[in-house]
Amino acid sequence: MIEVQELVKAFGRFRAVDGVSLDVAPGEIHGFLGPNGAGKTTTIRMIAGLLAPTSGTVRIDGHDLAREPEAAKASLGFIPDRPFLYEKLTAGEFLRFHAGLYGADGDGLPARVAELLDLFELRRFEGELVESFSHGMKQRLVMCAAFLHRPRAVLVDEPMVGLDPRGARLIKDVFRAMSAKGVAILMSTHTLEVAEEMCDRISIILGGRIIARGTVDELRSMAGSEDEDLTPVFLKLTGGGGLQEIDEVV
Amino acid sequence: MNHAFTYLLEPVFQALRNRARRREPGDGLRAAVFGALALFVGLTLFAVVFWLTWQLLDYEELGDYLVRLGLSWLFLTFLSFLAFSSLVTSLSTFFLSEDMRLLLAAPVPVERLFYSRFAKTAAQSSWMVVTFLLPVLMAVGLARCAPLAFYFTAVLTVVPFVIIPVAFGALVTLVLVNVFPARRARDVLMLMGLLFAVGLVLLLRFLQPERLLKVESLPDVAAFFATLQAPVTPLLPSFWAGESLFSALRGAVDGLHAGALWTTALCALVVTRICYARYFFAGWSKAQEARKARFTRLAGLDWLLARLPLRAPARSLVVKDLKVFLRDTTQWSQLLLLLALALVYVYNFRVLDLDRIPYMSGTIKNVYAFVNLAMAAFVLSAVAVRFVFPAVSAEGAAFWIVRSSPISMSTFLWSKFWTGLWPVLLLAEGLTIASNHLLGVTPVLRVLTAAAIVGMSFALVGLAAGLGARYPRFAAENVTQVAGSFGGIAFMVLAVLFIVVMVGLLAWPASIFLWHQLRGDPISPARGAIASACLLAALVLCAATFWLPMRRGIRALEELG
Repeated sequence: MIEVQELVKAFGRFRAVDGVSLDVAPGEIHGFLGPNGAGKTTTIRMIAGLLAPTSGTVRIDGHDLAREPEAAKASLGFIPDRPFLYEKLTAGEFLRFHAGLYGADGDGLPARVAELLDLFELRRFEGELVESFSHGMKQRLVMCAAFLHRPRAVLVDEPMVGLDPRGARLIKDVFRAMSAKGVAILMSTHTLEVAEEMCDRISIILGGRIIARGTVDELRSMAGSEDEDLTPVFLKLTGGGGLQEIDEVV
Repeated sequence: MNHAFTYLLEPVFQALRNRARRREPGDGLRAAVFGALALFVGLTLFAVVFWLTWQLLDYEELGDYLVRLGLSWLFLTFLSFLAFSSLVTSLSTFFLSEDMRLLLAAPVPVERLFYSRFAKTAAQSSWMVVTFLLPVLMAVGLARCAPLAFYFTAVLTVVPFVIIPVAFGALVTLVLVNVFPARRARDVLMLMGLLFAVGLVLLLRFLQPERLLKVESLPDVAAFFATLQAPVTPLLPSFWAGESLFSALRGAVDGLHAGALWTTALCALVVTRICYARYFFAGWSKAQEARKARFTRLAGLDWLLARLPLRAPARSLVVKDLKVFLRDTTQWSQLLLLLALALVYVYNFRVLDLDRIPYMSGTIKNVYAFVNLAMAAFVLSAVAVRFVFPAVSAEGAAFWIVRSSPISMSTFLWSKFWTGLWPVLLLAEGLTIASNHLLGVTPVLRVLTAAAIVGMSFALVGLAAGLGARYPRFAAENVTQVAGSFGGIAFMVLAVLFIVVMVGLLAWPASIFLWHQLRGDPISPARGAIASACLLAALVLCAATFWLPMRRGIRALEELG
C-alpha cells in the first residue's frame, strides 16, 4: 500500500535520507523508529508529498506520488507532528473544509463528521473555535480530519505527543481497528512501548539509512538481546552507548 | 478535490465571519479609529482631486492634457507599488504560508491551488491601491460629469491593471525561490526590500521633481511638459490604463489600450499558471529546506555586549533580542525600506534648493523646522509601533523562560526599553539634524529641535514599551499583527496627540523668541515666563509619557496570570 524505493534527500552535500526503501502492506502497522535527526520526519514529509525527494520513488495505493500526486494523496491520511489548523475556524468548519479538499463532502458528510467527533470525544466542541483547543484536542481534531475520507493508508508522525492516557488508548484502539479493516499505517514514533505494543514490523533509521527491519522479535535477535524490551534493543542498534557516563556527569 | 479554486479561499471568509461574530476587547475602538481615519482620508482625497480636476476644466486642452498625464502618473505609481507589494505577498502566500502544508498534503490540483493563491495575493497586495483609486476616480468622473460608462470602464481597467503586476510579482518570486540557494528562502525577502528601496530612489531621481521648481532653467514650455512626460512610457500598463480611462472620461471607447490591458493580463495569468504548474512544488520544497538556514554567529556582537556595563540578566536579554532581530531577515528588509525612505526624505531637502524660491523666507524655514520635528517624531512613532511595541509580545510562547527565571519584570521591560531606544534615537536625531542643516534653520532652533527629539524619543519609546507590556499578544503569529492590535492602535493615537501637543508647546515660545530677535526687542517678563512655562510643560510631558506607561507596563507584567 505504501511503497518507498531508494528515497534520497540531499541538502547540499549532506544526505539527510540516503536510499530508504519501505513497504507497508494493507492492514500492517509499520513502526518507523530512529534517534533525533536520523531522517524520520524528512522521510515522512517526502511520503506525504510535502518535500521533493532528490531521487527515489513513493507509491501509495499503486499511484506514483511524483506522477499522480492527487490520486496518491487521495488515498492517504496524513497526521503531522506539528499540524497546522485554521485557528479562527470552528472544529466543524475545519472538518467540512478538509472533507472538501479530499472530495468527501457528499451527502454523508454530516454523519461522518458527527461519528468522528463522537469517536474522538470532540462532539460538544464542534462549534468552538480551534484556537480555544488544548494541544491534545487539536491532535484529536487532526486525526478526525485525517480519517474523514476513509484513507487506505495512514502516515502518522508522533501520534501520542500531547495526548493524555485516555487519548493515547483511544488512538491505539482506532489504529488497531483501521488495521483490521486493511488500512496500512506507517507510524513514526519515539515511544518505544507504543511501537512494541502496536507494530507488526519496525524499521529503524540511523544517519538517513535503514539499519534494521523486522518484527520486535527479529530486532531482538539482531541486537542479540532475546528477552529484553525494545528500549535496550533500540539503543544497541542505534549505538546508544555512553549512557554509562550519566553517573559521572550527574 | 472536485470544487472550484474558490473553495480553497473559504477558510479566509469563514475566519472573517467568526472573527466578526466573536468580538474581542478593543475591536469597537479599533473599528471606530480605522473607520474614521479611512473616511477622513477618502473624503479628503475626493475633495482635493475633485477641486483639481474642476480647476483644470478652465484650461481646455491644457487641462485635458494634465488630466491625461495625471492619470498615467497615478497608474505608474500604483504599478510600481503593486509590483513590489505582490513580490513580497507572493512569497508569503505561495511559499511561506503555514496552511500550505495542509493543502499540499491533500489531493488538490496545482492549478486550483495556484488560482486560489493568486487571488489571495492579488487581494492582499492591491486592496490599498483599489481603496485609494475609488475616491480619486469618482472625483475625476464627477468633476468632469463623465458618463456612466466611465465607471464601468474604471472597473474593467483596474481589474487587468492589478492582474499584470501581481502575475509579474508571482513569477519573479517563483524564479527567486527556485534559483536562490534553498536554505536562504527568507533572505529573498531582504533582497526584495533592498531592490524596492533602490528602485524607489532611482524612480525619484528619474522623476527629478526638483526640476519642476526651476521652470526658468527649462528652454521652453515643451521642455517643461517633456519633464512631466518623462516617466510615462506607452509600453507600460499604467499608460494603457490612463489612456483607456481618459477616453471613457470623454465618452469615447479606447479599444486599443483596453485590449492591450486585457490581453496582457490574461497572457500574464496563463504564463504564470503554466510556470507554477511546472516549478511550484520544487520551489516550495526548497523554501521548506530554508528552515535549516545557516546563520551568522555574530561573535563581534558578543564581544561588544560583553563590555557593556550591564548586569548578567540584562545583558543576556539584550544579546538575545539583538541576535534574534539581526537573524530575522524579514525585520531587516523592513528596516532597509525605512532607511531608504529616510534617505529620500533628507535628500529632498538637498535638491529642493529652497533659497532660490522667493517666498521661502527665513520665517517659513523656521516654521518648517517644527513641521520637520513633527515628521521626525511620526517616523519615530512608526518605528516604535513596529519594533518596540511588539518587543514583549515577540517573546511569544517562550515567555515562560523569562517568567520562570530570576529576572524581575522591571529588568525585563527596561532591557526592552534600552534596546529599542538607541536605534530609534539615532535615527530620529540624525533625521532632525540633517534635514535642519539642509534647510538652513536658525541655530537656536537647530539646538531646540535636536534636544526636543531626544526627549520625544525617550517618551515615545517608553510609551511603546509600556503599552506593549500592558497589552501583550503572546499568541500573535507575527509582529505586524501585534502592531495592529488594540494596544498598537492606542499607542499610535496617543503618540499623535503627544506629538501635536509637544510641537505646540515648543513652537509657540520659539516663535516669540525669533520674533523678538528679528525686531531687536527684548522679550517682556510675562511672555518670557509663559514661554518658559511652555518649555517646562514640554519637559514634564516627555517625562510623564515616558515614565508612567513604563511603570504601568511593569506592573501589568508582574500581575500576568
